[in-house]
Amino acid sequence: MSATLRPSALLTPELLARLERLELVSRKVFQGRMKGERRSKRKGQSVEFADFRNYVSGDDLRFIDWNLYARLDRLFLKLFLEEEDLHFYALVDCSASMNFGDPTKLHVAKQLAAALGYVGLCRADRVRVAGLGPAGAHAPVLRGRSSMWRMLDYLDELQPTANIPLAQGVKEFCLRSGGSGVVLLITDLMDKQGYEAALRMLVGRRMDVYVLHTMAPEEIEPPITGDLKLVDCEDGDETEVTVSRHLLSRYRQTVASFIDQAKSFCAQRGITYIRIRTEEPVEQIVSNYLRSHGVVR
Amino acid sequence: MNFVSSLPGWAWIPLGMVPVGILLLYFLKLRRQPLVVPSTFLWERTIEDVHVNSLIQRLRNNLLLFLQLLFVAIAILALLRPGWLGESGAARRLIFLLDASASMQATSSDDQPSRFDIAKGKIAEQIDALRGGDVAMLIAFSDRADILHEFTSDRRRLLDALSTARVTNRPTNMLEALRAAAGLANPNRSSQASDANDVQVADAMPADLYIYSDGGFQAVVDFNLGNLTPTFVSIGEETVNNVAIIAFSAERNPEFPDQVQAFARVANYGGSTVDTSASLFLDGELVDAQNVEMESGEETGLSFQLNAPEGAELALRLDSKDDLLVDNQAYAGLSAMRNVSVLIIGPGNQSLELAMETEQAKKLGTVEVRSSDYLATDEYKERASLERDDLIIYDRCAPTEMPPVNTFFVGALPPKDWAAGVLTGPVLPIDIDRTHPMMRYLELFSLNIVEGRALQPPRGAVNLITADIGPVLSLSPRDGFQDLVMGFDILSATNDGGRAYNTDWPVQRSWPVFIYNVMRFLGGAVDTSGALNILPGEVAALRVDNRLRRVRVDSPQGVKKSLDVGPSGNIPFADTEATGLYRVMSSEGDDPDPVSVFTVNLFDSRESNILPVQEIELGYEAIASQVVGAPRRSELWRWLLVAALGILCVEWVVFNRRLV
Repeated sequence: MSATLRPSALLTPELLARLERLELVSRKVFQGRMKGERRSKRKGQSVEFADFRNYVSGDDLRFIDWNLYARLDRLFLKLFLEEEDLHFYALVDCSASMNFGDPTKLHVAKQLAAALGYVGLCRADRVRVAGLGPAGAHAPVLRGRSSMWRMLDYLDELQPTANIPLAQGVKEFCLRSGGSGVVLLITDLMDKQGYEAALRMLVGRRMDVYVLHTMAPEEIEPPITGDLKLVDCEDGDETEVTVSRHLLSRYRQTVASFIDQAKSFCAQRGITYIRIRTEEPVEQIVSNYLRSHGVVR
Repeated sequence: MNFVSSLPGWAWIPLGMVPVGILLLYFLKLRRQPLVVPSTFLWERTIEDVHVNSLIQRLRNNLLLFLQLLFVAIAILALLRPGWLGESGAARRLIFLLDASASMQATSSDDQPSRFDIAKGKIAEQIDALRGGDVAMLIAFSDRADILHEFTSDRRRLLDALSTARVTNRPTNMLEALRAAAGLANPNRSSQASDANDVQVADAMPADLYIYSDGGFQAVVDFNLGNLTPTFVSIGEETVNNVAIIAFSAERNPEFPDQVQAFARVANYGGSTVDTSASLFLDGELVDAQNVEMESGEETGLSFQLNAPEGAELALRLDSKDDLLVDNQAYAGLSAMRNVSVLIIGPGNQSLELAMETEQAKKLGTVEVRSSDYLATDEYKERASLERDDLIIYDRCAPTEMPPVNTFFVGALPPKDWAAGVLTGPVLPIDIDRTHPMMRYLELFSLNIVEGRALQPPRGAVNLITADIGPVLSLSPRDGFQDLVMGFDILSATNDGGRAYNTDWPVQRSWPVFIYNVMRFLGGAVDTSGALNILPGEVAALRVDNRLRRVRVDSPQGVKKSLDVGPSGNIPFADTEATGLYRVMSSEGDDPDPVSVFTVNLFDSRESNILPVQEIELGYEAIASQVVGAPRRSELWRWLLVAALGILCVEWVVFNRRLV
């Protein structure tokens, strides 16, 4: 527990203690790189029986099922499931639009990435927390609880300046990381070029994809009225609106429809879509929300 | 249908700019406030749908413009006050006389407007109904006239002037107001009408005279209406309810100065029997109360006995509420006893001096005796001119010039205006004026007078004792002072140079009483019996010790006013609008001494009798009350204003439903 001696803005000691009892869930079984605590597709050494196969010369004699040989007079090799590590990726959208809300969406995204990353570290999974964009290039691969501070330091340095399309960010990530595993995409999905390409790419890599759609209350119920010129913080686009009650109700409909579309897109592709409201505390999101959605157990 | 501009001409220019401004605003692009948002992505999707309906949107914008222009048009139309009159005719000249006397304060109940307010409302209606060329003049009157506004056709000025009119506590005298009203209608001639060369200074301008009053004044006979056409509008309800104190005074008992007797008269001018009570307050504390029960139209007297130190302030209040409140309370004051200073100049008169040393007389003041030679000294001249004494008694001598004080001549005549017959005797008194305060309690028919002269007093004198030879004791006024002259001596010089009594009066019981009365009445001590009382608005002629340089008058409302004392101690004080007790204080120091008090009371039965009359008499012409059906102007502006408000509401709804 030496890792918890330093205070962090992202994770509280209480939350850390709670996270240690959790475990990341993967709905798919992946091949790992190292021996770990996860069942792997590979057969190997563990206590869990997997299958029998005929003995061929050169096999390790220790795995011959002598009881079966006694009964059938044939040599069978007893196969066990291999336990390997899980590859866990947390991708944090670092575009300028994430810098809104109180706390900001980016802060909440960092907290979630840190929390789930820590869960992975505690379970000896291979964890990589990366910001989309240039910051992703030097995202460290982490393993073991002692790597928590590296992860937190990396997250602390992430700034909301990477205004690149979501698809480009994901593509760069895919090019950099070879394996498959659980990927957590924490984003606000506010991309004028669409988020679909990015998600498709992740699914195509046979990743177990979770989309944490962060939204600030100001985006759901904008506290504005009157004649305004709305300026997009990412590309400087200007939209002139006269915000009336009528327009606000139309806007709410648009938001609801946007969320529905995202949900349905994800559902069709086996992606777990989870909507995160930034005003909710991270402790609550992790222990209740993500648990009920099967991200952790 | 005609129009009346509610705005001055220049104000129409900015008003005309308003619709132009609205149009210009529609041509100008709205200046929007920039706001940075996470993404315009969702907003763009939101307004995409709206852009599809851009034609409807444009129409909506045009609807707003149309509504706004319509609103401005209706507002301008309302400001033009379109309307129509019931009749039309030549330009008129109107004079409104507004009664502002005390009786116009009457109100039928607390939540109802007073008669004065009702009259103002009716005049305002008349002013509103003035036609284009009409001119009107506004006069408020009580016991004097106050011209609120000269002839003008500007309604707004007339209404402003009308709003400044205030009801007073004063009685009513219409004559001055009528004269002011008649100024232009009946112009004076430059000289005598019988003169063939006479030219009239101005053309007579006939006018309609509207009198708004309850008629609580006496008939005005000394007035000719001439070119004025009077209309009397009686203000007030037929059923009234008023109990009034119409007299209240207090006097000290001459025998026991500590005892005060207060008398009041209360009248019921209402239409029903009244059963109430009257409470007497001494220096603000309730000391006595009496029941008052009166039939309608009855009067009753109340008397109170109370012990009061010198300088008492009395207030009598009726404990019932009625239509007119100002006459439900009355005030009386008893000034502190003044020390009378008496100077006797003469060869010596023991009986006179003895009479002034009685116990009662000593309380009144101080007596100084000087010989006849004193008259020639400078000290006397200075003393007489400074009015240091309240009374100078000249015993068998006379000054060369009358001093500015009250005087009493015994066996001598004032240097001017008086004459006397030859010395004859005996003198037999045959008539005594016992009603005069100086002759009260005197029994003089047994008086023996050896010899005396018949007096020939100046005009206006009162003969107090008339004997067989003519008046022997007379009192005559002189420039605000009084001279009492006795036509016979008390002590006469005998032929051998000795002295002999000319009359047996000094040995009679009436002598010291007479001298006491003289000191009280001529010396000024009589003032102590009751403080000066005047009607509201009257000038109070105050007289104080001329050694004082400055006095302060504290009014019942707490207003303190400093006044300079004139050389003779006279102070006219005119600010007597409010009823109540006014205190005159000696200086403005931290602890001013009270000098005297005076009271202002509405003791006017005409004002208290608030039943409105239906007919008044002006210059022997009876004028019946009329309901003035003012040629009312039917106006549209209120409806236009309601329509404009409706359009404003619709515009607001449209604006709020407006999309981008």
